[in-house]
Parts: sequence; C-alpha cells; structure tokens
Amino acid sequence: MTKSTAWIISLTLTTFAHAEAVDVSAGREHWAFQPIRRPALPEVKNAGWVKNPIDRFVLARLESAGLNPAPPAAPRDLQRRYYFDIIGLPPPPTSALGDPLSIIDNLLASPHYGERWARHWLDVVRYADSNGLDENAAHAHAWRYRDYVVRSFNADMPFDRFLVMQLAGDLLPAEDYGTRCEQLIATAFLSLGPKVLAEPDKMKMEMDIIDEQIDTMGRALLGLTLGCARCHDHKFDPIPTTDYYGLAGIFKSTKTMETLATIAKWNENSLATPEQEKLRDQHAVVIDAQNKVIAAFIEQANQALRLNQKLEKLPEKPEEKYPQATQAELKKLRATLERLALTAPKLPTAMGVTEGSVTNLPVFLRGNYETQGEVQPRHFPRVLVAGKVTSLDEKTSGRLELARWIASPENPLTARVLVNRAWRWHMGRGLVATTDNFGQLGDRPTHPELLDWLAGWFIENEWSVKKLNRLILGSATYQMSSQTSVETRMKDPTNRLYSRAPLRRLEAESLRDTLLEIGGLLDKRVGGYVWTFENYNLVFNHTSEDATTYDSTRRAIYLPIIRNHVYKPFELFDFPDPGTVGGNRATTVIAPQALFLMNSPLVLRSTEAMAKRLLADDTADSGWRMERLYERVYNRPPTVQETQRALDFVKHFAAERRGGDAKSDRRAAWQALGQALVSANEFIYLR
Amino acid sequence: MTTRRKMLKQTGLGFGSIALMSMLTEEARASNPLAAKRPHFPARAKRVIFLFMKGGPSQVDTFEYKPLLQRDHGKELPFDKPKVTFADTSNLLASPWKFKQYGECGHHVSDLFPHVAQHVDDICFLHSAHGTNPAHGGALLKLHTGSDNFVRPSMGAWVSYGLGTENADLPAFITICPTLAHGGLNNWGAAFLPAHYQGMSIGNASVAAKDAKVHYINNPKWSPAQQRMQLDFVQRLNLEHLSSAVDATPDSVLESRINSYELAFRMQTAMPQIQDISGETKDTWRLYGLDNPVTEDFGRQCLMARRFAERGVRFIQVSHSDTKVQWDQHGNLRQGHAEKASEVDKPIAGLLYDLKTRGLLDDTLVVWSGEFGRTPTAQGTNDGRDHNPWGFTMWLAGGGVKRGFSYGATDDYGFYAERDKLHIHDFHATLLALLGIDHMQLTYHHAGRDFRLTDVSGKVAEDIFL
Repeated sequence: MTKSTAWIISLTLTTFAHAEAVDVSAGREHWAFQPIRRPALPEVKNAGWVKNPIDRFVLARLESAGLNPAPPAAPRDLQRRYYFDIIGLPPPPTSALGDPLSIIDNLLASPHYGERWARHWLDVVRYADSNGLDENAAHAHAWRYRDYVVRSFNADMPFDRFLVMQLAGDLLPAEDYGTRCEQLIATAFLSLGPKVLAEPDKMKMEMDIIDEQIDTMGRALLGLTLGCARCHDHKFDPIPTTDYYGLAGIFKSTKTMETLATIAKWNENSLATPEQEKLRDQHAVVIDAQNKVIAAFIEQANQALRLNQKLEKLPEKPEEKYPQATQAELKKLRATLERLALTAPKLPTAMGVTEGSVTNLPVFLRGNYETQGEVQPRHFPRVLVAGKVTSLDEKTSGRLELARWIASPENPLTARVLVNRAWRWHMGRGLVATTDNFGQLGDRPTHPELLDWLAGWFIENEWSVKKLNRLILGSATYQMSSQTSVETRMKDPTNRLYSRAPLRRLEAESLRDTLLEIGGLLDKRVGGYVWTFENYNLVFNHTSEDATTYDSTRRAIYLPIIRNHVYKPFELFDFPDPGTVGGNRATTVIAPQALFLMNSPLVLRSTEAMAKRLLADDTADSGWRMERLYERVYNRPPTVQETQRALDFVKHFAAERRGGDAKSDRRAAWQALGQALVSANEFIYLR
Repeated sequence: MTTRRKMLKQTGLGFGSIALMSMLTEEARASNPLAAKRPHFPARAKRVIFLFMKGGPSQVDTFEYKPLLQRDHGKELPFDKPKVTFADTSNLLASPWKFKQYGECGHHVSDLFPHVAQHVDDICFLHSAHGTNPAHGGALLKLHTGSDNFVRPSMGAWVSYGLGTENADLPAFITICPTLAHGGLNNWGAAFLPAHYQGMSIGNASVAAKDAKVHYINNPKWSPAQQRMQLDFVQRLNLEHLSSAVDATPDSVLESRINSYELAFRMQTAMPQIQDISGETKDTWRLYGLDNPVTEDFGRQCLMARRFAERGVRFIQVSHSDTKVQWDQHGNLRQGHAEKASEVDKPIAGLLYDLKTRGLLDDTLVVWSGEFGRTPTAQGTNDGRDHNPWGFTMWLAGGGVKRGFSYGATDDYGFYAERDKLHIHDFHATLLALLGIDHMQLTYHHAGRDFRLTDVSGKVAEDIFL
C-alpha cells in the first residue's frame, strides 16, 4: 500500500482563479514543456551490436551501468513476437523464418496491421459502441470511426493530419465526397465520451461533456490532466482555471449534442451523397403531396358533413361522424402515408461534432456555473505557447486552430506523447511510464535523449507511424531475448534500462482471435458493420438484460464494446475501461482468467474444432498430428520427449473418459490436449 | 521457490503429480495478493454485507417517521425545493403507511417492514445521509465508488485492497445478482486498482438467484477427474517452460499464473458448494422466506451472503434489483413500495436473526441503503415520489455500531438532511473506520497521484461507534 498522503489537498475558498497563484513561466521549466531537442547520437563501445540509432541510446545507458544487452531472441520467438505485435495474429503454421526486416515489411503491409494498431488508438480515445454511465444508449454509428482508424493506420496517414481530422475534420476543406466523409467521421473522437444523458441539470450536463472532451484531448494528445483545472488552478501543473475556461470556450462553441432533453442525444453528421439527398428530397415531396391530399380530403369531408347534417360548427371529432365509406377512404389514404414514411430513404450519418455558436466562457468558480468569474477569451494553455497569446477568430469556435496548434511540430508535447505511446506498445513500457501523464506528477523519462531523438525523427519523417514502427521493430533493442544473465537481472531488476526484452502476454483480442484461428474458425475480413442496434436506443436499461451477442467469428476489434458490461473475456484479460483514456493496459494474473481457459464455451468450441481438424485425415499418424498441433499452437515442432508425453496424455485421457465410443473418446482426448496446450504459459506469453 | 526449482532440476520433472500439486497449492496460498492484511487500527467489523435497494426506497415511508408530514398532507412544502430536481413534484404527500414504535429503543417503523422492525434494537439508523446526484446513474456510482463522473474503484474493491480475504479459495469481494444498469460493472469494478480486487459477480439482476453463477465456474464437458488430469498436464508444461529458461530466474508472473490455475480449480469446487443451500435446515429456509415465492429470490441471496460471510469473504453485496422498476416509484407508490418491501422484509430480518444467533453479527457489518431516498412531496397524482439525494435513510447493524440508535435527522418533512449530516463520502469514511481502516491512509498511487475512496472529503461519524 502506498503510504504517501500527498494527495491531501485543502481546498480553501481563497484558491480562486482571481488570485492566480500559478506561475506559468516558472512552470515552463518542467522537462515536458521544453522544446524538443535533437541530441547527438551517443558513443558506444560495442558498436557491432547497434542496428540503428535507437540502440546507441539504449546501449550507452547499459554500458554506463556496466551491463550487456541480452542475446538476440531465437528466430522463432522473434517471428512470433513480430506477428502478434504487428498484426495481432500468430504466424501461419509452416511459415518460413525470413530475415527480420522482410518479416516486418510484409506484416506492416498486411491489412491486419491496421486492425491491430487501430485497437491501440481506440484504447486511447475511449472508443465504445454504447454510452455507458446512466443511460446506456447505443452508439450505433461509432463503428464508422473505428473503421476510419483502421483505414488510417493501414494507409499510414501522417499522424499530424490524423489528429487534425479528429479534432476538426468538419472544418477542413475536402476535395471530394469520400474525403469529406472521412473528415466528418473522424470527429467522433470528440463525441465518444460517456455522458450522463439523464442529467437533470442541463448546464451541468453540457459543462460535464466539455470537461470530458478537454480531459480526453489533454491526456490522449498532450499527456496533460487539463480536467483538473476545472474547479481550481491545477495543483501540480502550470494550468490555471483561466486557461481551462479559455479552452472550454472552444468546445462550448462546438456543437456536440443534438439535444440535451432527457434522454439527451449526441449530434450526428450526414454522410449522404448528393444522389441520396436527392432521393430523400424526392421522397419528401411525395410525402408532402400525400399530406396535402389527406388535408384536402378532410376539408372536403368536413364540408360535406356540415352541409349534410346542417351543423353550425364542426363537432369535436368530426371524423367519427363521417359516413362509413368516407372513413374507409381516409384510412386508406393514411395507410399510404404511413407506408411512405416507413420507406423514406435513411441517410447515412456519423457521430461527430460541428460548429456551434461562438461563445467565450467565464471562469466558473470551483466548477460551479452559478458563481461566475471573469470572461475568458478562447485561447490555448499559456504554458504551451511560450507566453504568446493566441488570438482566435471571432466567427469560428477556434477548434481548427486548436487542432493545428496541437499537431504542430512546435508543440513540445504531441510528438513526444505519440512516440512514447508507440514505444510503449512495442516495448511494454513507455520511456515515460505514465503514458497519459507527462505533467509534474507523471514519471520522468528513463531515456530523455532517446525520447527527444525519436520525437524529432518522427516529425522529420512526416509523422509516419509505420516508419516509426519499422525503426523500433528493426532495432537490436527490440530483437533481444527476454532472458538474460542473473547478474543483469540483479542490476536491472525492473528492466528500466531495457537490458532484455519484456515478457509479453497476449492481449485480450489476440488471445480470442488466436483461439478461433487455431480452430480454423476465424473470419479475417476487414472492416464493416457487424452489430445491429438502433442508434440512441438503450442497449439495456434498468432491466440488466443485455441482448448483445458476441458469437461473431470476425476479429475481436469488430465485436461491440458495451460500456458497463464489457464482453467477459475482454474484461478478464485487462481490456481497459472503455470510458477513459487508457494508453497503458495492465497485465494481471487472476484466477478467473484460468476459469476462462478451463471452462469457457469459446475455448471448448475452438479446441473441439482444432481436434476435428487434426483427426480429419484417418490415415495420418499420431506423430504427424502432434507436429501439426504444436506448430499451430506454439509455432514450433514438439521434441521427441514432448510428443511421447502428449501421446501418453491422450491415451490416459481417453481411457479415463471411457464414453463407450472409442472414436469420440479419442477426439475428446485430442481436444483436451489442445486445450492444455493453449492453457499453458508458452501459448499466452511471448518470450 | 529456489527449493522447488532445484528439485525440478534434480528430478527432471520425474516426481509424481501429487507432491507437485501440494507444493503448488502451498505456494499459491503464500503468494496470494488477496492474503489477509492487518488493518490500520483494531477493527470493529471484519466484513460487510451490503443490502442494496436499487431505485431509491422512500425514507418517509419506511424508517424515518415524520409526524408533520402526516399532519400537513396536501399543503405546500414550507421551504424551497432544490433548484435542480430529477422531476417536478407538487405538495406534501403523507405516508400511506402507519408507523408504530418497536423494541426498547422505541424506533418508529412503518407497516412496510414488520419483520425488520423486530430488530430495531440491533440497528443503527442513519437518517441524515445525503448525496449529490439526483439521477440513478450518478447516484449509484456515487454510492458505490464515491464519484459520479469519473471511473473509480468501488468501495468493495477498496476494502479488498485494504484487507484482503481470510479465505484463500475465494475472492475478497463478491456481488450477488448486481444490476448492469446505471454504471454496471463500474459499481463493483477495481478501476485502476489491480484486478484482483474487483468484485466477482454471481449472475446479474436479470437472473434468478437460484440460477446465478460465477462466469465459467463449471465445465460442461470434462468430469472433475478429467479436468484434474488435464490441469496436471498443463502444470507440467508450465514447469518445464519455467525451467527451460536459460538463466533459471524466470519471471515471477509465470509462477503466479501457475498458481492462478490452482486457485481457479479450488474456487470451482468451493463456489458451487457455498451456493448449494440444500444442506440448510428447514427452519433456516423458512427464516429467510425460501418457502414463499415472494421472498424466495431475495431470501436466497441473503442466505448465500451469510454463507460467504461465514467463510471469510470480506465484502458481500446483495442487490434487490429485479428486471422491473425496483424501488423507483415516481407513481404507483402504494402498490410498488408494498410489493418491494414484501420481497425483502422477511429475508433481511432472517439474515439479522441468523447472523446474531450464530455470533456473526458482532463482527459483520450489515448495511442497508438505496442510492437515494424519495421526496416527501408528491409526483403525479398523489401516489408517487421523486428521487431525493438531499436527505435519506441508511441503516447499519452489527459490526461495532450502536444498537437501537438513530443518528442525524432530516428536516420536519424529510426533504433535506439537517442534523449531523452524513454525506456519501462520510459514509465511506465511517465504513472504512469500522473495518479498521483510516480512509486518509488507504491510498493507491495511479497516474501520478494518490487516490482515495473519499477523494478529498470524508468525516468519520464516530458517534455511532459502540
């Protein structure tokens, strides 16, 4: 238990924004706010080990600590590592061992690369297919954003452009319809957050949504906990409340919600083509005409009613007094209208934001909108703009300027935060271990020069993530074995110096996909809509009856992510909370994970399919089968001893089973063996 | 560990699986992150049973008697309502139920809870509870995690983090038939605490208690003997994988995983046994109302809670939350509250009696609460009440709290907490204090700072301590 009690804050009423205690220029001394410097490559003794500049930085530190890097990983281990890291799937059973760079290049070119790397980004942007929190409304169109992220990674879209699109795609010029759609879809980044949709205090709801956007943007892109400055000047970072409300004004001037009336609905942008719009308009004309027909018919019938019955004025419900035939005719006309309404072409839409009315917000003292301080012109946090006051256009929200400023090479945080994320995803721990917090309370970088060198290199290489991937994957640092000498372990017990490769556990999605894959059940089609739910409808309400199904055999990234009730295998294997920014997944070992591998329908189904495949050819011998099995599960052939022992197991298990039918006993025994292999550490841990 | 590794090398895995397994089992117990921990100071309670009444039971119709409300029925509330409310309400609505005094303490209880009323001398009523959020989602999260707009660890997770469990075969925190709505698993989640500390759910609110199970707890295909054989084989593979490490100092995580299988295997045996109540006497069945379809479901949850408590589980939550509208009577109050109360009254009284006669009540803290109470003013046509987080009643029993005691009060009509106000943060601080934990010291370092269940608030209500 942490004994520290640092987080005991006395919130006194004098800590108001007026008496701004934050010294922004002193705060700028913090390492992360300093401009990115390009350090010279360090000299190393063992230059033969170096494959690219990364290795110089790592090796220099190891050498100064008197340590040697671990030996290179065995080619099969490395191949397995590359496959899971780059595409999230195992190598095909008989794939040849090529040289590292050609494996890397092939995998980076695979359409599955985007699926694997998009999922990393989806962790960061708290992607989900439902709202969660109080009213679990379906984000039925969130999948468009998910697929956009997959496409962007596959196309290696420059990351600065990728960021600008997500913050302000709706404000960018577009050369064609397709680009326009991508840009609109990208802004779901700002809309995906969990919202208290039944909040009765509408102003609070709006400010909470804005706060969530600022908090997500801050942590995801800048590594800053800007949300802290909503109620008081940031306790640790140089962000005063005045800067918070300067930013909040930008989002207040942005339209995120369609309506705040309970149950509130978020904004959706139309993706309709001109043709689709034309069809919709034509249909609207037909509906309009039918409405007119009905109105005229009623008018006529009313007149007839008055004349026939000699009435001064119409009765309250005149229609009930119409003659039978007239009533029947009216019913028919209305049925036609109803049918027309039902067949109206539905225009495709996407979650996302658009411009609202431009507003500057006052400081809300202690976060309470009823106690207002001075109005803050919309601006960027001063600590990050070197004191320069940004003047934002009076006519627009300023979101596009914000996006461009965040994605600019001058911003000291964005590139650092991103290269650190990529490093974390490849190496298991960031150079800054707190990937989402680069502020005072975040960890300091273990290798500050390497971080800056990478950030500078990344900007120079046009923010290409694939190039960055290739650089890290091709380094001798990445290619080390996870095993090292006792001495090195003693001197670098937590592997802070990268003296060896980390032991990697398969993430939830890879585990699930690989189980299906080795059973021959995985459907590897890329992209598209797999979940059917009406937009805004509650996935489940107070009934607790969640009708979401996960029986699709598409890759895990396409399964619905339901907040408040995440798919159980994901929840068990450290899928991050989909309501908050999560760039650093945990790797826990808990008993319910073992229960999943022992008893879950998914594991039983996959291993049964695996056994069926193995036994399909009656003439094959057991040794051949064992080789197949080991290749599929561990990407290596079994040793003679392993084969013998596994065959013994099959024999004993079948005998224990004694179901009567020798064939089914044998299949059960092979299934049990396959299940044992996928349950064992060698399957789930990558050395 | 070294001994075992040496042994592995010497024997080349040639020893029998019984010896191997008994060693593993011992190690699993030793390295269990949930192993019981010492509290900060002597604990009054060792464990908690939280009876959660979802939807918001009305305090003025159950445990807080308001004579002026009865007198002034139909009149205007003589002071302002909150500026923001969940729904509009009109004038005062007297409780349709009669209140009677019970026990030596003479506490008033309405006719909705005739059985619980028999135990008022064991109960400590907290009449001044208040929260911040008038909507179900926010209020549930606030009550369970202390935060209505950030994802934070639940109180059960904090308790298991602070104290671990006394039973190596079971998790420290179990939640029976929880609701998936209004925060769902965040209400029993670990958030940034290590995942060991999250609640293990048994079924959910849409599942009948008799069918509720832990996920993946049983195998539809293999017999226990077959599974044991298979698991022995897995562990053999694991040990070989471990010992094949060149430097013979493998990552402890690999060893933890070996142990997790043994814990899972034991849990798989233990869970169904605890949930199997067929061995309980007829009297016990009747005591919890299992002989009556109205009380059967909640009664079974309460009985399971006692069985988990007996076996050392630290935090057990029982949720009264079916698939309908629970205690949330914006309208139809008379029928709705009568129906809800009839489902829980007898089981709760049975639980209190059972814990007491078994000597468990002294160190088990029973907590009864909704996510908020209800307004004394009427919603709709004089048969409904709106949400009321501004003042409501919780109660505690056992675990070192005063008996037959009332703490705090709302105003004359039951709208706002007034005397000895007890915010949700204060409730959390008090709960932890009863368990021997200083809420200021129970911290977890995450994303650069130390977090607490009580954030920057929390005042312990020491007046209620025995």
